[in-house]
Amino acid sequence: MATTVRRRRRVNWGSNIVAIVFALVWIFPVYWMLNTAFKPRDEVMSETPKFWPSHLDAANFVAALAQSTFLRNLQNSLIVVLGAVLIAIVLGMFASAALTRFRFRGRKLILVVILAVQMLPATALLIPQFLVFNRLNLTGTYIGLILAYVASVLPFSVWVVRGFFLAIPVELEEAAAIDGAGSWRILFSVLFPLVTPGIIASSIFAFISAWNDYLTAYVFMSDSSMYTLPLWLTSFATPNGSTDYGAQMAASVVFSLPVVVFFLIIQRNLVSGISAGAVKG
Amino acid sequence: MPAILLTPAGLVIVALTLVPIGFLVFTSFTDYDKRTLFTGVYNFVGFQQYTAVLSSAAFWEALVRTVLFTAAMVAGSVVIGMGVSQLMLRTGVIVRYLVTIVLIVAWAMPNVATSKVWVWLFQPGYGVIPWLITQLHVFGNVTQKDFTNSFWGALVIIWLLVVWQAVPFIALTLFAAQTQIDQSLIEAARIDGASEWRVYFNITLPFLRPTLGLMTILSIIWDFNVINQIILVAGVQVLKPIATLGVWSYLTAFVNSDVGSGAAIAVITTILLLGITSIYIRNLLKSGEEF
Repeated sequence: MATTVRRRRRVNWGSNIVAIVFALVWIFPVYWMLNTAFKPRDEVMSETPKFWPSHLDAANFVAALAQSTFLRNLQNSLIVVLGAVLIAIVLGMFASAALTRFRFRGRKLILVVILAVQMLPATALLIPQFLVFNRLNLTGTYIGLILAYVASVLPFSVWVVRGFFLAIPVELEEAAAIDGAGSWRILFSVLFPLVTPGIIASSIFAFISAWNDYLTAYVFMSDSSMYTLPLWLTSFATPNGSTDYGAQMAASVVFSLPVVVFFLIIQRNLVSGISAGAVKG
Repeated sequence: MPAILLTPAGLVIVALTLVPIGFLVFTSFTDYDKRTLFTGVYNFVGFQQYTAVLSSAAFWEALVRTVLFTAAMVAGSVVIGMGVSQLMLRTGVIVRYLVTIVLIVAWAMPNVATSKVWVWLFQPGYGVIPWLITQLHVFGNVTQKDFTNSFWGALVIIWLLVVWQAVPFIALTLFAAQTQIDQSLIEAARIDGASEWRVYFNITLPFLRPTLGLMTILSIIWDFNVINQIILVAGVQVLKPIATLGVWSYLTAFVNSDVGSGAAIAVITTILLLGITSIYIRNLLKSGEEF
């Protein structure tokens, strides 16, 4: 009771108004993307911008999705992203189990390396990966891009899942051992089920990170039939060489939607989860 | 057993990250270029790439630009983030919820999409922001100005874009940290007649210092490495003049196919970044977290 009274006293209208103005300014680019995407095609390019479409129109979405290679690019994206997430999560699960439930020499060094490689500049990895994969004829293939994404998401998957392993009390393991369970049995029947939330969380972050990648795909994929969605998003040219902004904004909506929806669903756990794992931004 | 569990991930990290880093360093000592991509022939040239890079004015300009630009982006996002988290403490529940949703949406937007949205916002002829600026009647008619192809225009747009996406993480983290402050301390200070500014500087800020330090270090690392937003927003005419070290090594290695030189720039960039990364890792090690 006391706290609510105190809280209420500090709330003032000035702050509320400043906060609402801030929210309106901050959301404006997103609003403008939606506004453009849902406009009739002839209202997109108007010298006096229309702040509200005269009617909601799906023509931009038709242009973006049906009159482009969207399905092909979506398929490419799903293959490489899901492939990379699957490999990274399975490897990451085992590695973080080893790094949290056992004590051995070099453990600390491994953790430092895992943290350090996440902070590397993009080109420091991209240049040599491109040279090596080019040599092995892996550029322009799904496998090449999958391996590059595994390299970029595995370290933070290990780090995030590790946080969940650390939260499991040792007593639980001891109890299972007393009941006669072996190390592998404990791992599969006790520990892995308990870190499932961590595995789900890190899979989704790994998914988003690979889903959003532009640079690696751009460097690796020279054939447009192998383009992933971020490359598709940057490719809306009209016949006269300018950009078809209506279609591009509709494409941006479609591309961003799964990520935004996911962030809104997990918003409560977002801050603690991210700062604990210091995930790539 | 830990060896069995670690080996697969270890092999992958060694093969896909550590070996390539070694290969990057090796490449930086060769004259690997466009010809090499087809023939596989290259020569060992010692420190020649490094002396060429370090003695070029372009390198020092890119370095200064990267440091200043990173500082501007970090300062902007941290200061605005601090302000927003303070604001969120003082609003009603509904307004706070609204601000949270807005922050999360801005945070979640993929940067490829936001880069394209920003280009559209500033589009000459039809962009809404030049139109709004023109309506102010202060800067004259700027609706035809090609902002993304002007040096300062592109810099400001990229700064706005990066700060816009960086503020939510900082604001929400600081807000979460601020709710942990013992309210009776603040009440006591107020009863003793301390002003709101005094409370903020003497109680809130010291309490937030560790979180703020972490946010700043992470922001420096992330902003130093910004590439997508720069290459997707800056027009072709200004991409070179505004290139940061990361963009410059990308352009050198992949657009000019001067791989040896690009590798040398990437190695130098990595070494520069390593200093700040080691502070971050040392902080984490010291933070008492079980390692």
